[in-house]
Amino acid sequence: MKTMHLELRNITKRFGSFTANNKISLTVEPGQIHCLLGENGAGKSTLMNVLFGLLEPDEGEILIDGEPIKFSNSGEAVRRGIGMVHQHFMLVPVFSVAENVVLGFEPTKSFGRLDLEKASDDIRRVSKEFGLEVDPDAIIEELSVGIQQRVEILKALNHDAQLLILDEPTAVLTPQEIDSLLEIMRSLTAAGKSILFITHKLKEVQAIADVITIIRLGEVVGTALPTDLESVLASKMVGREVNLTVAKDEVTQGDVVLEIRNLVVHDDRGLPVVNDVSLDVHGGEILALAGVQGNGQTELVEAIAGIRRIESGTITLGGKDITNNSPRQILDAGLGHIPEDRQSNGLVLSMSVADNMVLNTPRRAPFAKRGTRNLKAVDENAQTLVKNFDVRTTSTQAPLSSLSGGNQQKVIVARELSRPIAALVASQPTRGLDVGSIEYVHKQIVNERNSGRGVLIVSSELDEVFALGDRIAVMHNGKITGIVPTSTSRSDVGLLMAGVTEGSNE
Amino acid sequence: MSNSSKPNLWVRYTSKSPVFVTVFSVVLGLVVGALVIIATSPVILHSWSLVFSSWGGIFHALKVTLDNVGAAYRSIFTGSIVDPPQFWHALTTGKDWTVALTPISETLTYTAPLLIASIGVGIAFQAGMFNIGANGQAVMGGIVGTAAGSMLHLPTVVHVPLTLLAGILGGVIAGIIPGLLKAFTGAHEVIITLMLNYVIAFFLIYTLLSTALQQPGQQNDVSRYVDPTAQLSPLFGAHSGLRVNWGIIIAGIVVLFAWWFLERSTLGFDFRVTGASPKTAQASGINAKVVIVLVFLISGGLAGLAGVVQVSSTTHFLDGGFLVGSAGIGFTAITVSLLGRNNPIGIIWGSLLFAALNVGGRVMQASTSIPLDLATIIQSVIVLFVATPVLVKEIFRLRVEHAEAVQLSVKGWS
Amino acid sequence: MSISEIASTTISKVKRPVGRSRAIGTLTLLLGAFTTFIFGLGSNPASKSILTFNPTNLTGVIPPHVGELSVPSKATCLILGILIIAVGIEILVRRPAEGLMVRFGGSAVLFVIGLLIWTVRVPGPAPFGVINMTAVLVGSSPLVMVLVFGALSGVMCERAGVVNIAIEGQFIGGAFFGSMIASTTHNFILAAFMGALIGALLGLLLSFLALRYLSDQIIVGVVIVTMLASLSSYLNVQVLSPYPQYNTGDLAPKLAIPLLAKIPILGPVFFNQNGFFYLMIVLVVVISFALFKTRYGLHVRAVGEHPKAAETVGIDVIKIRYFNVVVGGAIAGIGGVAFVASYGQFQPGCTSGLGYIALAALIFGKWRPSGAVVASIIFGVSVYLANNLQTYNVPVRSAILQTFPYLITIGVVAGLIGRVRAPAADGQPYKRD
Repeated sequence: MKTMHLELRNITKRFGSFTANNKISLTVEPGQIHCLLGENGAGKSTLMNVLFGLLEPDEGEILIDGEPIKFSNSGEAVRRGIGMVHQHFMLVPVFSVAENVVLGFEPTKSFGRLDLEKASDDIRRVSKEFGLEVDPDAIIEELSVGIQQRVEILKALNHDAQLLILDEPTAVLTPQEIDSLLEIMRSLTAAGKSILFITHKLKEVQAIADVITIIRLGEVVGTALPTDLESVLASKMVGREVNLTVAKDEVTQGDVVLEIRNLVVHDDRGLPVVNDVSLDVHGGEILALAGVQGNGQTELVEAIAGIRRIESGTITLGGKDITNNSPRQILDAGLGHIPEDRQSNGLVLSMSVADNMVLNTPRRAPFAKRGTRNLKAVDENAQTLVKNFDVRTTSTQAPLSSLSGGNQQKVIVARELSRPIAALVASQPTRGLDVGSIEYVHKQIVNERNSGRGVLIVSSELDEVFALGDRIAVMHNGKITGIVPTSTSRSDVGLLMAGVTEGSNE
Repeated sequence: MSNSSKPNLWVRYTSKSPVFVTVFSVVLGLVVGALVIIATSPVILHSWSLVFSSWGGIFHALKVTLDNVGAAYRSIFTGSIVDPPQFWHALTTGKDWTVALTPISETLTYTAPLLIASIGVGIAFQAGMFNIGANGQAVMGGIVGTAAGSMLHLPTVVHVPLTLLAGILGGVIAGIIPGLLKAFTGAHEVIITLMLNYVIAFFLIYTLLSTALQQPGQQNDVSRYVDPTAQLSPLFGAHSGLRVNWGIIIAGIVVLFAWWFLERSTLGFDFRVTGASPKTAQASGINAKVVIVLVFLISGGLAGLAGVVQVSSTTHFLDGGFLVGSAGIGFTAITVSLLGRNNPIGIIWGSLLFAALNVGGRVMQASTSIPLDLATIIQSVIVLFVATPVLVKEIFRLRVEHAEAVQLSVKGWS
Repeated sequence: MSISEIASTTISKVKRPVGRSRAIGTLTLLLGAFTTFIFGLGSNPASKSILTFNPTNLTGVIPPHVGELSVPSKATCLILGILIIAVGIEILVRRPAEGLMVRFGGSAVLFVIGLLIWTVRVPGPAPFGVINMTAVLVGSSPLVMVLVFGALSGVMCERAGVVNIAIEGQFIGGAFFGSMIASTTHNFILAAFMGALIGALLGLLLSFLALRYLSDQIIVGVVIVTMLASLSSYLNVQVLSPYPQYNTGDLAPKLAIPLLAKIPILGPVFFNQNGFFYLMIVLVVVISFALFKTRYGLHVRAVGEHPKAAETVGIDVIKIRYFNVVVGGAIAGIGGVAFVASYGQFQPGCTSGLGYIALAALIFGKWRPSGAVVASIIFGVSVYLANNLQTYNVPVRSAILQTFPYLITIGVVAGLIGRVRAPAADGQPYKRD
């Protein structure tokens, strides 16, 4: 069987004055699962893009089976035996599984005609071999995320990959689907394939890795074994002692500030994606909504914020019915909203920091009077907020695009928390942020709770859910599968995330 | 791959200085115009065909080329801005000021409606919407405005504002159709407005042949004359011979309004947020449907105003060829707005430049028989080079469903 | 539940968007109501209409004579109207996902028949009570042909993810320069090559600006059309007027297919046309095959739906887009030549917006060549009728009549946009990381 020995030697990649990868070296033996562990922004994606031929390194070399290789595009990398399973799938939604798997490497009949029958046969054969059951004729957009990921893997295998790069593959999977994926990985390595597994999740690394390389701020800071302590790994990853929990005082809960009753919301295709959901958020509590992405959480938040139509059910904020109100009315009624996709939903990148700070209240005094804006008041407000919330920016008039991701999120946080709000809804608030910003945002959220407001935080990061939540609600397939105290075990929560509720047989 | 591609000079330059790009594009446009003249001028072509027949052949050819192209461009300049000898003569003798100032006056006369329409298009662009139907809206404005101006008889102080309002109303009617369709069905305004242009052109002919708007006693598609009380009178009096009129004052007011609107008003802020990021606009409480309709209302109204100003200040009547074809004010307004980067100051300069090209082009046509279309060709080339790198603005579209919920999709049709 | 059961869950079959059937159903009902009330009830019970089916102006091949058909106007229109209403109700109630185009197309055909019957009813305002159905189809066919060329151009470009608004400009360019070549060489094959070349150059300009410099494709398209319109007007004055030998208005000869042209009623429509018509049919077949059955077609569609996915498997997105836009431009250029080859002399503005109507046909046809053909037939016939019905003294002014095709286009686009799916990456500039 064909195998690959991969070595990265002193890979360096710069973008202008910023060094994303600094003399990174690692080796992947045949049949080995090599984990690349690092937090967001450490340089993992850049390194993978170099390996996969999407970027050219400024220094260093890639050696395959001892031979230095240069890729000028990803097609060459693929042909050389490197397969990549991307974090955001590279699948064409309207194509079938077969069409996606063979794209670029299609079997043909005469006249360049596609031979999809042969493709389907090949797929069935390979999927049997590695336990990746999938129907070749299914259309991608009708498949669940876990299955789509299998198609990505099949694609790589179809290209005869000997090294598979898996880029944060578990972000979209339930704990049980993750187990399933780990099994598949083991059967792949048993067949001699090598796997380079990229993640920032310590538990997965301990479960599957043969070897761990830890990368921080563009450099390799050390190697480790899966048997090492979790806290050791974590501190190597971030460079200091990391407090894995968030300090929370006891606070007495107040009345219900956000009440959701029997909510039904449809997705873009008219199917119910929020299916009879009921939740209560009390003042002085953080209710964490856990669940793998794609189970209706996004649409639930959109419905609360007034961006998506509610088919039936009610939402009450601070005693006031806001069902199907306009976003304007809901914001005025006292909802704070930290959106999931801050750049396209929460901010205007081309406008100034000051303008972004008043995005939800541009007409209110003192920012405007009778249709005319008071630019001085807008700027003063921004100065105050920038100071209070420690936003790093050159000036309040600087365009928002000049701020880092973490500081952009701080602008949103500052904006929402400086308004009078009854409840805060935060959706994936720390995604893509560096550890410092994560700690900061968590602190602010806890502050809100301590001041008596109710917080609903939606997160697919179980660590965050357990750290912040006073109670945990779990969402699966549009339904709430359980509302449990934070003392519940992770695996029980994981079962709820997979839709296994009390009373069903396992 | 992409990262190590050879550094692109053009991209480097253009990302540094918008002014450089504009100047460069204008020069390029003039060069292309010159090439077009050369390619279709029998005299020049003939001289080049003799290049090899004598030693001085190439010099002769170059001389003929420069003479002819130079004559064309010189007449554009003297026809639109000033003819230096005439100006000097007027300065020194104190006489014949009318002749000396006519070019500038003509340019300003033509600038007025063009500036108004371009501001309208620019506001729409800033809100992320293409108002490609500005020409049709201007025609509608001309129709309704002429109707008010010729069929009502009132004292000037009332008649002029009323006529202008009628023009705005016409533009609003034409603009509100794509606005409502886009807001409530998510239809893409480009094809709708382009088709509406044709519909309105036929409608114009209909009104001029089959309604009371037709000039009594006429069989052709000619409208009634706009009353003197509704006309925009020349600034320096009718006897000055200079046509520059109140239209330019109105245009100035429109510019001030646009500046205030975009920079200082809350609605203008909403427009800009919608143009920059529709999703964010929606999430922060801006009502997408209202914004869409208002954008087309304002933009259409301004285009309609441009149409009525055009009629009221120059010809004082309509015919079937009003603003017809791609040289119509509405289309030029689009190119002007792009040239001026959609902001009021840039649009002023752009309008002046393109108005000068048009006015000068008319003089060029009269003196050298080179058709006026050359001016439009030059304008198009200029805009093609300007609308490239610097204007990489992510223009998103709002797609509205039948329910209150607003959905999102990116460029293209949906 | 076992692990594999959990993992193999598929989302239930996707429901197609409901909005489309609602829009088309309503449109159909409107057509039906119009037919019933205006055509049906608006006719004198005693009136009759005569339909004939023999082609006029044939050279050589004449199908056997078909007798005329005399129908009672009112009854026929009422029946047609009720049929259309029935179809409309079926669409609204049953909400079928597929076959909407067929239903609407069929209704449109019935509507047109009703319209024609009503127009020539005797007693009625028309100067003569006869309508030649075959002549109507033959007369519409050049328009349909040009629209199909434009829509095919749109298919090529937009399936690869590039919006081509410049089709109208490519028509103008092809018409102008093709006419010049045809007038001088009297060889329409050369003229077609010229048109293709011009169209390809314009396509190259569009793709260059859009792909290399990430310009907004719609703006570039509109400016190109403006430029071509002015250029053709300019050249018309400078070249065509002083030298009329460059604009003789030759028509491409009709080439009858021996046996098939003799088929009564429809034979002359499909089998006695000029070379451009047959070329159009060939192109429809070839492009359909290439797009949906070959490797190349899969690559193109991948590029149009998810260019990043295509890039990561080694497909050169930019090259495919360049290729498709240039070829699409060439096709539109040939369409322009086909226009003057069927209608005669070039005049500035002769294409009067057909390029934009072709885009509407593209959308109506869901970006498939077959759908585009059906849509082009509907639009082409409506343009033809709008231009020619005034000889029958219909109670609508000629100028208003001529707005109808454009209004129909607006109605179609407004009703369908947002309810049909364009290729997902259509119009988005592609940025490599």
